[in-house]
Amino acid sequence: MPEIGTFDMNRRGFLQLIGATGAAALMASCNRVSAGLESLSTPENLARFPEKTELILLTDRPPQLETAIHYFRQDLTSNEAFFVRWHLEGIPTSVDLRTFRLNVTGHVRQPLQLSVDDLRSQFEPISIVAVNQCSGNSRSRFEPRVPGGQWNDGACGNAKWTGVSMKSILDRAQVKAGAVDVSFNGLDVPPLPSIADFVKALSIDHARDGEVMVAYAMNDQPLPMVNGFPLRLVVPGWYGTYWVKALSDITVLPQPFSNFWTDKAYRIPNTPNGTESPKDLDKDTIPINRFNVRSIFVRPDPNEILHPGIPTEIEGVAFDSGYGIRRVEVSSDGGTSWADARLDPDIGKYSWRRWRTSWTPGSRGQYRLMARATNAVGETQSKEQWNRSGFMWNVIQQVDVKVE
Amino acid sequence: MNPRTRTLVLLLGLVALATSCGQSSNISQQANRGINARMGSMPDANNPLHTIVLPHDEPVFPPGAGRDEFVTACVVCHSPRYITMQPRFPRATWLSEVKKMQNTYGAHISDEQAVKIADYLFSINGKASSGKAPKGTYGE
Repeated sequence: MPEIGTFDMNRRGFLQLIGATGAAALMASCNRVSAGLESLSTPENLARFPEKTELILLTDRPPQLETAIHYFRQDLTSNEAFFVRWHLEGIPTSVDLRTFRLNVTGHVRQPLQLSVDDLRSQFEPISIVAVNQCSGNSRSRFEPRVPGGQWNDGACGNAKWTGVSMKSILDRAQVKAGAVDVSFNGLDVPPLPSIADFVKALSIDHARDGEVMVAYAMNDQPLPMVNGFPLRLVVPGWYGTYWVKALSDITVLPQPFSNFWTDKAYRIPNTPNGTESPKDLDKDTIPINRFNVRSIFVRPDPNEILHPGIPTEIEGVAFDSGYGIRRVEVSSDGGTSWADARLDPDIGKYSWRRWRTSWTPGSRGQYRLMARATNAVGETQSKEQWNRSGFMWNVIQQVDVKVE
Repeated sequence: MNPRTRTLVLLLGLVALATSCGQSSNISQQANRGINARMGSMPDANNPLHTIVLPHDEPVFPPGAGRDEFVTACVVCHSPRYITMQPRFPRATWLSEVKKMQNTYGAHISDEQAVKIADYLFSINGKASSGKAPKGTYGE
């Protein structure tokens, strides 16, 4: 074994070498380990789940899948490309429509057990185009960074939802006087008994507003299983945490609803824009509720290379909680000057609204494009924002492009 | 231990180190491969039974102190990708996350194990603290 002999002869030098550089080599190898871990969260890390196209993989169990921005070039986000976010490991993977029932119980005179076919055949169908957006969409943009699903801007989507209004279901169940809240539970189950089941609630007035609905179709198709087949609660203009998937139980309550997912989770500082200082967290918090006004660049892609003197189409979407987007301004000089973008036709107050403008870069260099949306009641995007949970991002949107 | 044996042991140690490095680079290879799930068919209106098969392809974690505790106590409830998708956090943030799992969600972790797990997470995805570290919250 000549190699060992060689090493043996130089053992002293070898040991010195190890002493001098071993620690450094070990450190370097550890850095590589971490670099390997970090590369897992790059956008190249795509996953294909059942009934879905390739989506950006945040987590696989339970699934959290993000939509790539280029899908937002269409007004309606396809079912295959729509983002996915579950909380509990035990997500439903099999539903038998012969036995599945939507149960309506609690503070009602007439409890109901409705099949999907009952919903389709016995109720007036309604449709609404609405954005669904995760509370933590764009969390990776918060600085300092906060733990949680590290979404870029693709934890949202716009779809046509068809189903039955919650009001018509509650009317059939004959809600008793004194109802306060309505809670919503789905088929997902916690992996440990100590973990609270994922149940959310709305006030009885909100639930009966005629817009909150139980959807059995998404873009005129059954929902993909990971998007909530067979039924999903749709709460237009409100963050996705309320859009309970695989909805199976509706309970009318004569007292305020209380559980972990409302009392401890999904809370925001009770401040304008839900913002607070990392150095002084607000003690006064409230449940997250309606969307902040925000915009997203769809074109150009980040780091797309543009050319001087050549007009470039800039495009994006903007949405709010239902007042309606009235204005989107774009800046190419870091926010010093702003120009109005053109708005595409309004396709529904809960839909996003597409905006476009043309920009001709003057000279070579790195540019930061900014977009600022304003809604019908004057709500607009903020210059800065931070909260401990990384919720409700609505800072003036930015995209960096290179002109060569 | 005679000198030759000591050299052998040293060499074996180096081989082990190299192997562990190889394992770490496999992590990104595995990640880049992505998940090749079987595509379930869209829900069929004529078939009342709708079933999907979820893909299961989780990253392999590098060896290190606390890895066993992490695998035992954490991965039973969620994918290790809950760690890999995070940016580097100070140790206090990782400990806060582990404590949240222990105290709020009832993960079967002793205080001693919690510290070991936090140290392990910090060793693979940590950064030096700069000022006040953000603590974990709920529902994020």
